[in-house]
Amino acid sequence: MTAIPTTPGTEPELGRARKRKEDARLITGSTRWTDNMALPGMLHLAVLRSPIAHARIASIDADEARRMSGVQAVLTGRDLADEQGSLPCAWPITEDMKSPQAPPMAVDEVHFAGEVVAVVAARSAAEARDALDAIDVDYEDLPVVLDMESALADDSPLVHSDLGTNRNATWTFDSAEAGTGGDVEQALADAEVRVERTFRQQRLIPAFMEPRSVVVDPTGEQFTMWSATQVPHILRTMLAMTLGVPEQKIRVIAPDVGGGFGGKLQVTPEEVITFLLARRLGRPVKWTESRSETMVSAHHGRDQVQKLALSARRDGTVTGLKVELLADMGAYLRLVSPGVPILGALMFNSIYKFPAYHFTCTNVFTNKTPTDAYRGAGRPEATFAIERMMDELAAELDMDPLELRRKNWIGRDEFPFTTIAGLTYDSGDYEAATDRALELFGYRQLREEQARRREQGDTVQLGIGVSTFTEMCGLAPSRVLGSLSYGAGGWEHAQIRVLPTGKVEVVTGVSPHGQGHVTAWSQIVAERLGVPFDDVEVLHGDTQSSPRGLDTYGSRSLAVGGVAAVHAADKVIEKAKTIAAHLLECSEDDLEFSGGRFGVRGTDQGTGLADVALAAFAAHDLPEGIEPNLDAEASFDPENFSFPHGTHLCATEVDTETGAVRIRSYVCVDDVGTVVNPLIVEGQVHGGLAQGIAQALYEEAVHDEDGTLTTATFADYLVPSAADLPEFTTDRTETRATSNPLGVKGVGEAGTIASTPAVVNAVVDALRPLGVDDVEMPCSPQRVWRAITGTRTSSDTAAEAGGGLGSMDTGGGFAAGSQGGSR
Amino acid sequence: MDFLRPTSWRDALEAKAHHPDATPIAGGTDVMVEINFDHRRPTSLLDLTGIDELASWSEHGGKLRIGAGLPYTRLIDELGDRLPGLAIAARTVGSPQIRNRGTLGGNLASASPAGDGHPPLLASGAEVEVESVRGTRLLPVEEFFTGVKRHALASDELISAVHIAPATGAQQFSKIGTRNAMVIAVCTFAIALHPERQRVGTGLGSAAPTPLRAIEAEEFLSGELADSGQWDSPRPLDDSVVRQFGDLVARAASPIDDVRSTADYRTHALGVMARRTLGWVWDEYRNHPSSTGRPECA
Repeated sequence: MTAIPTTPGTEPELGRARKRKEDARLITGSTRWTDNMALPGMLHLAVLRSPIAHARIASIDADEARRMSGVQAVLTGRDLADEQGSLPCAWPITEDMKSPQAPPMAVDEVHFAGEVVAVVAARSAAEARDALDAIDVDYEDLPVVLDMESALADDSPLVHSDLGTNRNATWTFDSAEAGTGGDVEQALADAEVRVERTFRQQRLIPAFMEPRSVVVDPTGEQFTMWSATQVPHILRTMLAMTLGVPEQKIRVIAPDVGGGFGGKLQVTPEEVITFLLARRLGRPVKWTESRSETMVSAHHGRDQVQKLALSARRDGTVTGLKVELLADMGAYLRLVSPGVPILGALMFNSIYKFPAYHFTCTNVFTNKTPTDAYRGAGRPEATFAIERMMDELAAELDMDPLELRRKNWIGRDEFPFTTIAGLTYDSGDYEAATDRALELFGYRQLREEQARRREQGDTVQLGIGVSTFTEMCGLAPSRVLGSLSYGAGGWEHAQIRVLPTGKVEVVTGVSPHGQGHVTAWSQIVAERLGVPFDDVEVLHGDTQSSPRGLDTYGSRSLAVGGVAAVHAADKVIEKAKTIAAHLLECSEDDLEFSGGRFGVRGTDQGTGLADVALAAFAAHDLPEGIEPNLDAEASFDPENFSFPHGTHLCATEVDTETGAVRIRSYVCVDDVGTVVNPLIVEGQVHGGLAQGIAQALYEEAVHDEDGTLTTATFADYLVPSAADLPEFTTDRTETRATSNPLGVKGVGEAGTIASTPAVVNAVVDALRPLGVDDVEMPCSPQRVWRAITGTRTSSDTAAEAGGGLGSMDTGGGFAAGSQGGSR
Repeated sequence: MDFLRPTSWRDALEAKAHHPDATPIAGGTDVMVEINFDHRRPTSLLDLTGIDELASWSEHGGKLRIGAGLPYTRLIDELGDRLPGLAIAARTVGSPQIRNRGTLGGNLASASPAGDGHPPLLASGAEVEVESVRGTRLLPVEEFFTGVKRHALASDELISAVHIAPATGAQQFSKIGTRNAMVIAVCTFAIALHPERQRVGTGLGSAAPTPLRAIEAEEFLSGELADSGQWDSPRPLDDSVVRQFGDLVARAASPIDDVRSTADYRTHALGVMARRTLGWVWDEYRNHPSSTGRPECA
């Protein structure tokens, strides 16, 4: 590949639509996925999973499996019970939170279908997989708990009998108690208009492209783990804490990682089990999952029931918002499971000036795959609910939904604005984004067409959906995380090393898995230091080379990690300036740094950064007290979240006879602050929109009445393809974040958070004259038709999102042993 | 598992005669999925991809003979203009990769009630040519399907080809799925006009244990059109006729509730698709009575 020639100073690096450095390697197959690793003497691990959602393990007979060709070891939960510990949950949201033991491998009881019950290590992956079929597990059925509301009833069977309840915790925020606003009950009692709705956030699966994989090598001085993870640093610390292994004896590497969307923000049972097997056998061990294993055992997302009540005056001014959530934890608490709905607690009020607000969330255990972070984590749920409510209020008042929003949102001259939830929004301009979106969308013309179609009773009705969203991202100020009882801080780390030849290495603590950080960080540092883009190398994802960091999630990498790199670069410049002044025999005050060069003001004298670096390396003649080399590191802890926002408009054509929904046009105008690379931002927005639209129209993890996941393949779990998505019209407005020197806000989750309500609002808007005021997600043709006709489902158990391969009818897709569901 | 790979049709028939349990595999887009999910553990696989003649087509006596191993992609490219209904259905199968592998013969052998290829074959009155070392026979396609994923093949027989007449009038195919591509149909409907016989053909998918024709609907509509002399001087159809046709199609169905849909919705949607596709083919027939159909997708 030929490098694009760069002449410093011709075009600023920041804001430049560079193609990604990392792509040439990725798209030509020169990748280093974890599964590509092969070490001498390596064994392959295969995992036997429970096909039953809740059962006592009466016995496991693995004798035959142990005798099979190539098999080196077969282990059950009982074999590892003394050393496997309990998987960590880093977010105890309340002091009295109920927390079940979470063994990586089930010992006495399984609590969801897909839970690990035994593992085989063999010389080849195929031999390991074959041996699973010879393991005979005898299960004794226990009652299955699937529905959150009935799980909370006094007479409900229990997921974990030792906890005495299916309630994990209840977390509450009340504006009157917090002193941030009024009493919501009073507001509701005094309401001129009151809207009450219950929404269902269906269960979703973070369908990352690369299945999870882990390799552990125990043969060196340290245990080295390669894992397809978003969080190598967290993983290392948590492994040490969970297993009692000294932290310095563990090195974790996240090589090329193919997507995560929160789904790889986890310390997984398989990572711990692979580690234990490698330690026990003294040989490298690799585990790579099948897609169906991902679907049943990697954590799921969303799954909430949201009950909202909103009060307003007749003129449209909102006066209060009450939110009551049930959130499904699944069978166990994973890394941040209980905190995910709480991330939404501060966001339901969104961009609106509610004077009174109450939020309460009850987390519930069920016999399903555990839930945890999924792109947006808590904030898409909040945004969906409030944007749906605003459209419902507009309909109730017969107001234009955008007029209603204008009446209630924070004006551009009101920033910084402290919200009813206690957050301070530093910047934004909702008017500008909305005006631009309306212009691109052709709002008035579409409303006219809608009126025409309604008048003519057209079979295909047009709907227009609005979403004026904001989100809190850039996770996060450590003190705020502390106040929310989170188990760690939210700072980020960077190191910059200027090499003797003037080339630059940037070490970052964030861990990219498809975002393009290598390109963006190169641009940031090239701009700051005035060095060519191609002279910057970005190192990440290895706890050895990148010793400090908190990894990538929550749209935090740029706003926190990128800013740490800026601080480190500034420290390099500061040190270089001292040395340059010494070399040039002038005062530091006479030097100005520009385009990679220190110049003496008012003269043509100066020296370049590379010369200073070489001098600092040689160290023959350094000023008193100055250490050799031009390296610097910085940790950045943001003082506030960042608050991207935007206006998304969606037009749908809804076929009132078949219920089919077609997105006719989609316009979004996002304000993500300063943009480092518009091409990368555009990619993030497109992908985010696709995932948000997928929740609105296509995806759902469906369980049958036994707790078996019936959507465990991509033929059944309907990730949309290009054929299902419209052409996106995107644009940006820009207000700088004031919380960091780059002015950046973050863009990883914006599209996902904003788009779901825009689409559902559009579907409902199309059907409102037919008396429809809600359609449950995903808005499949059948669900839309049922909403129109008011028809109830003809069978309670008919699930509606499946593509219909029916792949999971015999516990298929993942290995379940010779009895495959005997009980 | 034995893997049999004959290189001639004769060898394939011999192999099937000697291994009646062998599962024939062509594109593998159904068989491999079933093996992967352990729904099926064949004692032997009979790979038909080495037999070139199976992936060819020819024309005899005014009928097309489509080899059982002809992939959908070639069917669309090479026969789409003469079999528009089948081509529309073929375009909705899976993804480009699956259409490159998948075959009409495989679709028939799977005999899924949701097979996309079946309704157009029913609507066109196609015949399935099956062969064994004992000889060859031709089965009308509606006699081929005997139950859910069951067909009329004897254990030593293989599907050799499909015989189908090129379209003489407009044809259409409609499919409802929960996603636009790569999804198994919630339900499908095919219609074909046969002006030379003054008949209308239909085919329903995912509507009953087997793909089926809506015979009462065909009789009704063919009769209405003939009685009113519409074949010779076509006029817009009365709403009542279209509605009755849709109702009769819906009534022919006996769908079930399953993971993809409820029976109620399937019945309703079949009626809607029947009315709409009838509207499309009739409009086309009125405007171009001699045209063979619409090549583009519904």
